[in-house]
Amino acid sequence: MSTAVLQHPPPTTPQRRPLAAKLKAPGWYRVLWTTPLGFGLCYGLVTGIRAVSGYTPVLSGKAITTTSLIGVPFAFLIGLGAFDYWFYWAAGRRTRPEDHSGHGAHSWRDYFRVNTDHKVIGIQYVVNSFFFFLVGGLLAELMRAELASPGAQFMSANSFNELFSVHASLLIFLFIIPVFAGLANFVLPLMIGAPDMAFPRLNALSFWLLPIAGIMMVASFLAPGGAFSTGWTAYAPLSTNVPLGQTFFTIAVQFAGASSIATALNFLVTIITMRAPGMSFFRMPLLVWANFSTSLLVVIATPFIAASQFLVLLDRALGFHFFDAGSGGNVVMYQHIFWFYSHPAVYIMMLPGFGIVSEVLSVKARKPIFGYRMMAFSLLAIVVLGFTVWAHHMFTSGMQAWIRIPMMITTAIIAVPTGIKIFSWLATLWRGILRVDTPMLFVYGFLTMFTLGGISGVMLAMIPIDIHVSGTYFIVAHIHYVLFGGSLFTIFAGVYYWFPKMTGRMYDETLGKLHFWLTFIGFNLTFGPMHILGLQGMPRRVADYASKFAGLNLFISIAAFALGLSTFVFLYNVISSWRGGPRAGANPWRALTLEWQVSSPPPVFNFDTIPTVVGGPYEYGVQDAVHGIFQPAVSAGGGSGGSGGAAGVGGGGDGPAGTAHGPARE
Amino acid sequence: MEAASVSIPVEHDDHHHGPPEANRSSRVDPQLLGMLLFIISEVMLFAAFFTAYFFLRVVNHDAWPAKGTSLPIPVAGTNAAILLSSSLTMHWALTSAKGGNRRGMKTGLLMTFLLGMTFLTVQINEYVHIGFAPHDTAQGSIFYGLTGLHGAHVFIGLTLLLFANVRAFRGHFSPEAHRGVEIPGIYWHFVDIMWVVVYSTVYLL
Repeated sequence: MSTAVLQHPPPTTPQRRPLAAKLKAPGWYRVLWTTPLGFGLCYGLVTGIRAVSGYTPVLSGKAITTTSLIGVPFAFLIGLGAFDYWFYWAAGRRTRPEDHSGHGAHSWRDYFRVNTDHKVIGIQYVVNSFFFFLVGGLLAELMRAELASPGAQFMSANSFNELFSVHASLLIFLFIIPVFAGLANFVLPLMIGAPDMAFPRLNALSFWLLPIAGIMMVASFLAPGGAFSTGWTAYAPLSTNVPLGQTFFTIAVQFAGASSIATALNFLVTIITMRAPGMSFFRMPLLVWANFSTSLLVVIATPFIAASQFLVLLDRALGFHFFDAGSGGNVVMYQHIFWFYSHPAVYIMMLPGFGIVSEVLSVKARKPIFGYRMMAFSLLAIVVLGFTVWAHHMFTSGMQAWIRIPMMITTAIIAVPTGIKIFSWLATLWRGILRVDTPMLFVYGFLTMFTLGGISGVMLAMIPIDIHVSGTYFIVAHIHYVLFGGSLFTIFAGVYYWFPKMTGRMYDETLGKLHFWLTFIGFNLTFGPMHILGLQGMPRRVADYASKFAGLNLFISIAAFALGLSTFVFLYNVISSWRGGPRAGANPWRALTLEWQVSSPPPVFNFDTIPTVVGGPYEYGVQDAVHGIFQPAVSAGGGSGGSGGAAGVGGGGDGPAGTAHGPARE
Repeated sequence: MEAASVSIPVEHDDHHHGPPEANRSSRVDPQLLGMLLFIISEVMLFAAFFTAYFFLRVVNHDAWPAKGTSLPIPVAGTNAAILLSSSLTMHWALTSAKGGNRRGMKTGLLMTFLLGMTFLTVQINEYVHIGFAPHDTAQGSIFYGLTGLHGAHVFIGLTLLLFANVRAFRGHFSPEAHRGVEIPGIYWHFVDIMWVVVYSTVYLL
């Protein structure tokens, strides 16, 4: 059923190398001196320029910090070895031939290196994301503690602003967006029958940009004046006038954004150029489709948030006037640029989840996915429509009033492709042979909660309602129903679903179900009442509130603590199962897609020979259905021709009825 | 039960130490596609900066350039000619590389690099003599923002060209393997075309 697990080459034993060699070789020893050196260079550069230009004071902590935030991460990456190959290449020296020593992980230490194996990078992504998920969640609990009763409990109003700003930024830029990229990083090349991503070194670099961004955001708490406190939206001119902590956000977003764009490029090129023979676009699993669409969104939209933060940085650091109305700048312009990214970004945070749901649902219902092509087309429709709705975030911003009408209409329209997907999933469930285990429970949770979030989204599209509830807890409820009830539930579904594949171990089903029910109930008790609070007019992003809201807020806070505790069930389950869970077979879910046709965890190079795809990915319950077959060894030498021989050896390996019998290649 | 897959018992070669050759499912070269997608995201970055420009001119109806300042249209125009001619030398370098003309490739790459350097020098000189600073007015901010963003891209392009030059002069590239000339070349053409757009909007419009 699987290609044999490749014999791991013996781990390169950490021989005692002289210190000088350690300091020279890529790795943490080199980081130890390149990072301070980078800081020294930034310090010297800024101070030198200020001295030459006659600025007083010559030593400016603000200027040095700003420059170091940009420069030191590069010094760190150079030390770690993220650029070594390119330096060799650029200098025209002989690049070291790829010995694949960067592939696979032999011990936990290998996860702290620049590793070019997409499976290692995928796990790095996921673990890193969940680390910041915990940090972001902790900040939320602190907020709920403050909000447990009216009046100030234990923090200043500004500390509260810092908490919700860092909470949102971490969970959006360091959790939801990258964790999807991480899951796809692990699974996608396997799914399309590729040995790795198209640009493995770029892939490694995109990962290492992320912890930098995350640490920068968290480190902003140490900045004089506190962390950034302008929300994750960082509206100008507020963001151009607050203390230094804001700069940490401005620059951290650049690193997270660059990581995002690089990964998206990588996914697009991988999907377009590295599919297995026979895998036409309409034989791709929907997760691949979802990441294809998401990557398009990222490539086109993410530069806008980069630009918005560049403009803020220029205003902050060099005294530009992009957002200074007194000098001819325009503050609404910030919101337009920001939301032109950040509305597509909500689809960047949702479409990969749609992909996960399609995978899990079809396998667990033992039925072909309903309306496969419409599922794919609706993803593309969301990509296109996603760019036409940004100003619905700005109905109360003071922009030209007429823009609100077309934005209301497009926003209502974009619910249509989303509705197509929801109904297709429901139709997939119809008369399926349902296996309701943990991943499936989370899919159910997603279907119900995301639909609720989607409905409140359509409500918010209506201008009068939006104006009424703008800036209230209704918005908080809505965004958490789509991002927590939507995205996070699909993330949990995906993590449980691919856990056996990623770790080679099975998670504990009972604990998984317990985790789901605690999360599901805790989530609804926490965020459900916020709808009511919002309609009654309780403003969001404020540390204090009127005493009439006290009862519900105490209730929400208690529920939020319970919800937080449910995470420990997940953590315990994942950690203990990873360390000592029962071994998982290659294909515990009896799934058709290619990642399940190799051992768990997959061999170092994924496949001995590239499989040939002969049918659709979701032909469950169809007699003799086959998605991919492995070629016999004899044709391995011939590379990946995917020619006639492959189909013949299948022994009934003909595609199922109803699948397009196209030629092996388009 | 539907068969998950039909697997063929294969005699595994235990000394198989490399990944299998990936199937090429598209005729497009991966590096080329990657660069084109990157250019799309770069175009969007410029688009965001242009948003600031058009907000000032279309929404605010402010004067352009700010009252009492003027833009050196002829100087920048000459500079545009310099940059555009570097696209020609770049193309020459690539054609030579494909045709096995090493001397032409090296000369073309070097000339492109030098023309690009000239452009940057003229641009910086223009900044010095232009008579307004980015922190004077929003017009100043937008002027320096757009031309500076473009200048940064010229700098990135020059860095890539520097690598290509170093490699060319150290004997790399051949008619079969010239991707290291082609890919920076595409980026360079993008930088040039972007200047046409920036020049027409910022200086001429």
